[in-house]
Amino acid sequence: MIFIAPSGSQQTEVAEPSVDFATDEVVDLQVPWVVIVWNDPINLMSYVSFVLQKLFGYPKAQADILMMDVHEKGRAVVSNGPREKAEIDVFRLHEHGLWATMQQDT
Amino acid sequence: MKRRKRDGPVIAVENDMFEITLSTDDRSTLLSFVNQLSEILAMGPDDPRLRRLFPTAYHENPAHDAEYQGYMRDELTQSRAASIVVMTKVLESTELITASQLHAFMTVLNNLRLVLGTLLDVSEDDFEDDIDEDNPAFGQWQLYGYLGWLLEWTISALSGEDN
Repeated sequence: MIFIAPSGSQQTEVAEPSVDFATDEVVDLQVPWVVIVWNDPINLMSYVSFVLQKLFGYPKAQADILMMDVHEKGRAVVSNGPREKAEIDVFRLHEHGLWATMQQDT
Repeated sequence: MKRRKRDGPVIAVENDMFEITLSTDDRSTLLSFVNQLSEILAMGPDDPRLRRLFPTAYHENPAHDAEYQGYMRDELTQSRAASIVVMTKVLESTELITASQLHAFMTVLNNLRLVLGTLLDVSEDDFEDDIDEDNPAFGQWQLYGYLGWLLEWTISALSGEDN
């Protein structure tokens, strides 16, 4: 993956912003990204829990809690980190048919 | 000791191998749906039936999402096609399969379910058992239920549960 251009517009006072010259966007590279799995009416609960165990190494009990959060609260954060890692996580979740998105943690 | 139930369609056997005990009829039915999925995938990810197979990655930023889709969509399409190749081989043979093959089998089953669920516009309150025989989509709902049943057994086998 070659995609390293920063995104978003969130800044804090402490972190030094960087500028993407292609888009002139200012972004805080230190704010981590979170990967969110959203509830959907098709994926089986057992499947969502199993995929979270397989992809992220969660123990079953923890994967079940995340899965129930997705089911009952509509979403759950399942991983976080730098943008490139978040993109890989989103891709793997999409490969498994889960409705996953990413955003900068604010 | 708890006796392992042997009557499921997916059974964990020795040496991390698995056996799929589906009938020839079930195998050919599934193969025909897998072929249909292949055909839809070949038309490209913009087909509305594939909406759930190619979700948005950046829900808050359409520009970033377009960029992401630009370099990830092909990879996602190829990954789905590769799993379909494995699924096809698994259905065409009665030999034991590995966990990795069963994992691919599982993802294709789920893809089929996602496409069918999209066509049926499934909501949280829908249960396939409640669908009336007079419903014009009764057959599709039955298949949807069947895929869910097979998927549950596949997950159990891969999880090492005793079922």
